[in-house]
Amino acid sequence: MTKKMRNSTLLNSDHRFLPARMRRTVLDMAYSGSTVHIGCAFSIVEILTVLYRNHLRYPDNNPMADGRDYLVLSKGHGVMAQYACMHELGWLTDEQIKGYFEDGSDLKGLSDSRVPGLEVTSGSLGHGFSVGVGIALGLMSKKAEQKVFCLVGDGELNEGPIWEGALVAAHHKIDNLMMIVDKNGFQAMGPTDDVLALGDLASKLRSFGFETLEVDGHDEDELDSAIHRLWATGVGKPKALIATTVKGKGVPFMESDNSWHYTRLNSQTYADAIAALGAAA
Amino acid sequence: MVGMAAGLARVGFRPFVYGLAAFVPIRTIEQIKLDIAHDDLPVVLLGDGAGFVYSHLGTSHQSTEDIACTRSIPNMTVLSPADRFEMESCMNYAYSAKQPVYLRMGKSDRGDVHTGPIDALKSGQLIKLRDGRTDRPGLIATGAMAVTALRVAEELNLMAWSAPMLKPLDSKDVCSAASITKGLVTLEEHSILGGLGGAVAEIISQDHPTRLLRLGVEDRFSSHCGSHAYLLHEHGLDDNSVLRRVSEFCGLSLP
Repeated sequence: MTKKMRNSTLLNSDHRFLPARMRRTVLDMAYSGSTVHIGCAFSIVEILTVLYRNHLRYPDNNPMADGRDYLVLSKGHGVMAQYACMHELGWLTDEQIKGYFEDGSDLKGLSDSRVPGLEVTSGSLGHGFSVGVGIALGLMSKKAEQKVFCLVGDGELNEGPIWEGALVAAHHKIDNLMMIVDKNGFQAMGPTDDVLALGDLASKLRSFGFETLEVDGHDEDELDSAIHRLWATGVGKPKALIATTVKGKGVPFMESDNSWHYTRLNSQTYADAIAALGAAA
Repeated sequence: MVGMAAGLARVGFRPFVYGLAAFVPIRTIEQIKLDIAHDDLPVVLLGDGAGFVYSHLGTSHQSTEDIACTRSIPNMTVLSPADRFEMESCMNYAYSAKQPVYLRMGKSDRGDVHTGPIDALKSGQLIKLRDGRTDRPGLIATGAMAVTALRVAEELNLMAWSAPMLKPLDSKDVCSAASITKGLVTLEEHSILGGLGGAVAEIISQDHPTRLLRLGVEDRFSSHCGSHAYLLHEHGLDDNSVLRRVSEFCGLSLP
């Protein structure tokens, strides 16, 4: 409880990683780079802001530090939201944000492990979680205190390797690993229930041996306290946090409109989207 | 998906499996080998966006190893059309082949190399794109790089061929090209290991030794992000770089 109260205070007084500002950065990148995946980035903003603000530890603010926690973005197409947080940390420059997708730039449309701060090359879905399982197993065997967060999309759960990794994580009692599911209900080609229904996801993950909680993925306090609770319980079990989110969250005309998986901004929609974010952005 | 296609083929269907080349065939290579090729099933694998088409998305969506992987699997036919006319012929060939086919679709908006529909593809054939000087190297290109080959061949007055079929690749056609020119240059938006350049090297080293310059992706991933044209330049495969490299191979100073 003490821990939770301390973090609630932290949330109230800590103005880093304000979600509206992160979304503004995403819009700026998407507009200047004329690129897609805006809705996919918006659904994970609060998950990332809570992780970066309250949970991920990077010694000396060094994204390559040996003793760091790991954030594995398995749903690599949400990477613009992570770029926004990395920019806030000073790991990316204003020029890199403004020059998104310019010829010769380093920041790609999907997560690339060659960029410090991004742990895996993903975007081909279903890879990152298994890599996260391996990182966590390695850290556990070294008795390191570091934690591994692995952010997967609900559509990504169609991929077989996710479930193979889940079996391995439970079998080997990898309890420094937390899978966070961005359950926004959509994937590129339609609603997840239409494309390939996941059924009762929480029951599935519990039956695989995961300590599992479900939260509102846009409520930062709820996310924060659930992450603390998961680490505090279920010794010897991998953790799963199912975050119910809204694809396109933050800009009403994008919310739950799956066309924003692939739609590009024009000057009008860019201006409208920024206006919708309000003064905080 | 690929396993399911094998199942459908086993009960009489003719599945066409479509995906990005980074995934079909690369992600599913073991299913292709074991479930389809091993049993010689009539499944057509369509790999779209091959090469650097997804230039902004990075390594996961780029595909410069798919020809090498599929060529080395027994029973596979590998097709790589250069333009819409070759695409039509390749589709017809793939459907009539009644065996495992990988049809590679790369960058499709770089223009045509043929002026109209072409004759039905014959197994392993090279298609001549233009005549040129026989005292200089000839160019053999596949996929979208055939456009580049044609432009450079016109600039330097070289002979040029398109290779819409990479496996089988007919030894007679390749040796004929080698015998009427002085050296060969291969061009592909694919690794120089195991693709067109590899296939031509395999043939000529055995049947008709000659100088060979393989132009393609060196043994590395793309470094940066940018347009398709940018990535071609990064890999030395834009028109100017190819012109320079071919000129050097010809022993010519730059025009």
